[in-house]
Amino acid sequence: MSDEARGCRELFNEVIDAGLCTLCGACTGVCPYLVHYKGRVALLDNCTVADGRCYRHCPRTYSDLNEVSQKVFGVPFQADELGVVRETLLARSTDQEIQHKGQDGGTVTGLLAVALADGFIEGVVETAMADDKSPQGVVARSRQELLQCAGNSYEPSPVLERLNRVTRESNEKLAVVGLPCQTFAVSKMKAYPAARDMNIDNVRLVIGLFCGWVLTGGFHQFLQEKFDLSRVVKFDIPHHPGNTFDVYYESGKESVELDEIRRFISPGCSYCWDMTAEFADISVGSGRAKFRGWNTVIVRSEAGAELVERARARGALETRPLPEENETHLKKVMRDKKRRILSQIIARTGDRSDLLYLGLPDEIVSRLLT
Amino acid sequence: MASIEIDAPGTSQLFIGNEAIARGALEAGIGFAAAYPGTPASEILGSLAAVAAKVGIYTEWSVNEKVAMEAAAGASYAGIRALTAMKQNGVNVVSDFLANLVMSGIGKGGFVLVSCDDPAAISSGNEQDTRPIAKWFDIPLLEPGDFQEAKDMTSWLFDLAEELGTICMLRSVTRIAHARGNVTIGELPHRQHRAYFHETHDLKSVMPTPFMPIPSVPRHKLLHQKMDRARERFESSPFNRYVGPESPELLIVTSGSCWLYSRDAVRALRLEDQVGILKLGTVWPLPEEFVQIHLGRSQTILFIEEIDPFIERSVMEMAANLSCSEAPSVFYGKRSGHINAYGELNPDIVIQAIRRILGVPYEPRDADYADRATALAKSHVPERSMGFCPGCSHRAAFWAMKTALKLDGRNGFVTGDVGCYGLGLGPTGYFQARTLHCMGSAPGVASGLGQLDRFGFSQPVLAVVGDSTFYHSALPALINGVYNRSNFTLVILDNSATAMTGFQPHPGTGMTAMAEPTDPVDTEALCRSLGARVEICDPFDLTGTIEVLLRTMAEEDGTRVVMMKRGCELVRKKSAGPPYKVYVDTEKCIGEACGCDRLCTRLFLCPALIWDKDAARAAIDDIICAGCGLCADICPQGAIVKEAA
Repeated sequence: MSDEARGCRELFNEVIDAGLCTLCGACTGVCPYLVHYKGRVALLDNCTVADGRCYRHCPRTYSDLNEVSQKVFGVPFQADELGVVRETLLARSTDQEIQHKGQDGGTVTGLLAVALADGFIEGVVETAMADDKSPQGVVARSRQELLQCAGNSYEPSPVLERLNRVTRESNEKLAVVGLPCQTFAVSKMKAYPAARDMNIDNVRLVIGLFCGWVLTGGFHQFLQEKFDLSRVVKFDIPHHPGNTFDVYYESGKESVELDEIRRFISPGCSYCWDMTAEFADISVGSGRAKFRGWNTVIVRSEAGAELVERARARGALETRPLPEENETHLKKVMRDKKRRILSQIIARTGDRSDLLYLGLPDEIVSRLLT
Repeated sequence: MASIEIDAPGTSQLFIGNEAIARGALEAGIGFAAAYPGTPASEILGSLAAVAAKVGIYTEWSVNEKVAMEAAAGASYAGIRALTAMKQNGVNVVSDFLANLVMSGIGKGGFVLVSCDDPAAISSGNEQDTRPIAKWFDIPLLEPGDFQEAKDMTSWLFDLAEELGTICMLRSVTRIAHARGNVTIGELPHRQHRAYFHETHDLKSVMPTPFMPIPSVPRHKLLHQKMDRARERFESSPFNRYVGPESPELLIVTSGSCWLYSRDAVRALRLEDQVGILKLGTVWPLPEEFVQIHLGRSQTILFIEEIDPFIERSVMEMAANLSCSEAPSVFYGKRSGHINAYGELNPDIVIQAIRRILGVPYEPRDADYADRATALAKSHVPERSMGFCPGCSHRAAFWAMKTALKLDGRNGFVTGDVGCYGLGLGPTGYFQARTLHCMGSAPGVASGLGQLDRFGFSQPVLAVVGDSTFYHSALPALINGVYNRSNFTLVILDNSATAMTGFQPHPGTGMTAMAEPTDPVDTEALCRSLGARVEICDPFDLTGTIEVLLRTMAEEDGTRVVMMKRGCELVRKKSAGPPYKVYVDTEKCIGEACGCDRLCTRLFLCPALIWDKDAARAAIDDIICAGCGLCADICPQGAIVKEAA
């Protein structure tokens, strides 16, 4: 691995064909060659560009994490369990409609509604589920459109493909909501901006969603065969001690055993070490069993802190400090995950200095492995 | 230049070889001609069809060569002189009927088959010499050495066919068929044709039904007797002649257009006193006595012919029967490596062969002359690769297929067929076609592939044929696929034309060879009647076409048909101007940068799209742009603009 400028051929060799692709959408929507189609990145024709945005912005091509962190947060990469942290919280929206539609406490929708209402941003690039519940990237420009994006599909969404298009087509101030891999890709877009065709500075806010893995490779077909997707209102994987994938209808819910769907876990996710979207302005996850209906929130940047403060002041967001027990648990989970993934990567490359896409100083690697 | 029906006996007319053949048929008083188009043979029926109504004959562009030959045989059986003409591939198509026809014999009307071979496969998929079929099937065969002979031989073959009661064959090649030369024309017979099929049960005859190959053994014997009679006639034929000294140092044995190359070569070397040329016009069966007499002139023989060593081997077989004292000592030709058994010949090749054999010097010009001449010629020619015409719907069709196959992601591929869209093998068709053989073979090959799911095969197969090819021979393969539930998609590129050979009508067009309207066959209804699911799309609607292909490929159940309907651009532009004015917005064009990488001029490859190296931007060649506007749809930057013209 090196950080030389490369194009789509290397992208395929090093990422897509190497099983590292997370289907984030960063490489699609920028050119006529790479297209996200039915849970796959298709290369429609050969491209000879040596320094392609596809390779440069991919979250799974080599990145010097210190450099990206410096450019995005102005501080070196934090090798702690949770990355750069200003504040950890439990939060939920005070808006009943948002709470009802949201995955947990509706914090993401609530924050974005405030940001839109205040003109801090003009649009939100995020994921909405189509009628057949397949995820697609959309731009929400109103509270109503935001509400249509609430909820988790558990399938990868090419939300960055939409971002690539909208930053080319318009000059709006934007927020992006994405998974950890996607928020990292946005950081790479900011750290290594394209020469033209992309107003990445217009991305004023990045909200990251906690993520363990997504489901691909026939999962959608599995859902289609098992459920009447047009009637589904929500999917959920309840936290411990839950062991099911729950499918909600207006009339009630159906469940499948989690073990039944593990085979659909995206292979790319098994090399991901970031569960909390460490490069987002604000990271949001669920409140865990004891705090159902709440979200765990990590405020990371100044922009993130400002928005949370504004939402609290407006009475749109109810917050409380993250209980110590929760934080301790979260940190343990993250520490274990990072160690496990690092070991797995080293097992694959056979070389501690080759961590595939992770550009880390050796002392950090040593610390994380012990 | 005069039309072939000009009534001016004794005058000299400038005809291409194919017109000379057609004129010869008119002078022989034919009443019936049927063919399927194929370069280089197409103008034979084409020129006859143009005058058919005027001279009172019937002409037909048949659905394929076999049907054409069978139809012409019907005319012969009813006493009408009949002609069928085809390129080398057509001879393969008719071969089964032909093998039976030589046994059954022809009717009272003389019947002539013209085969136009295409040495070097200039306009063909394959290179093939059809003369061996005359030897294989026992057919008297003539080969014209110039345009006059093309006419005269054709005429005479009808007399010979009637005298022998068997079909006779004329073998031409591209350089005779399409070159133009002087032909002194003869009388037109102004014959009143009367067709009548004589009652089949002739009680005096041993064989009650004349026109059939059985009983095979006596009929085979009879055929050999006919060939013996043909040989006798050939012994004194004026189409065979010798030019040169009494006892030349080297004797060239040649036929067809090679006769002209041989003469040029001997003249260029100024060896008229040392080299003799035996020019054969009746090449099967060989006039053995005539040939033997001339073989005795020299101890050194060189065979010059295109493509196979047909005369060479036949003469060598013959020579095996000669006594040692009579046999010439050395044979040169394809077997010895002095002449290639592939590609076209030319005077240079003949000169080099003579030089090698006789060891004579020959330096016609500076060594680098050819390089300089090529460079000079190139400087006047725009740099273009072989490709679909500007505005051609096939470009859109292959772009859509390429995109759909990539999106589908199961490594699907295209089986190709014969027509303009055969270029789908190359860059203009984005290298999509992965097989190409004879007409109708795309769905045939696909119908086999479509059965291999039982062996783990899961790649989608798109079989691509044109509308004319569909009727020619794709239909049986489609039926085979539908009936046997083969998993593939037949893509019919319906441009309402037999475009590659010159826009001859076919059953989908609603017009006959004689320009009379008829009811077109409804291709869509025909496919549906077989039980195939049919989708219709316009290839210029790229998005819609890609969707149709993706949906159809995903079905995986039996044989499906996608009809891509869009008329041939060359036909459209005869009656209408370009639909769009197309230009490049150079501000928006990003050329080679990330986000485009010259999609239009590097991949899409319409000849009207040019890369302006200095500006590093795309541009439109207004002279050849057809204004189809398709490039505006594929430009990722929206830099190509189309405005209604």
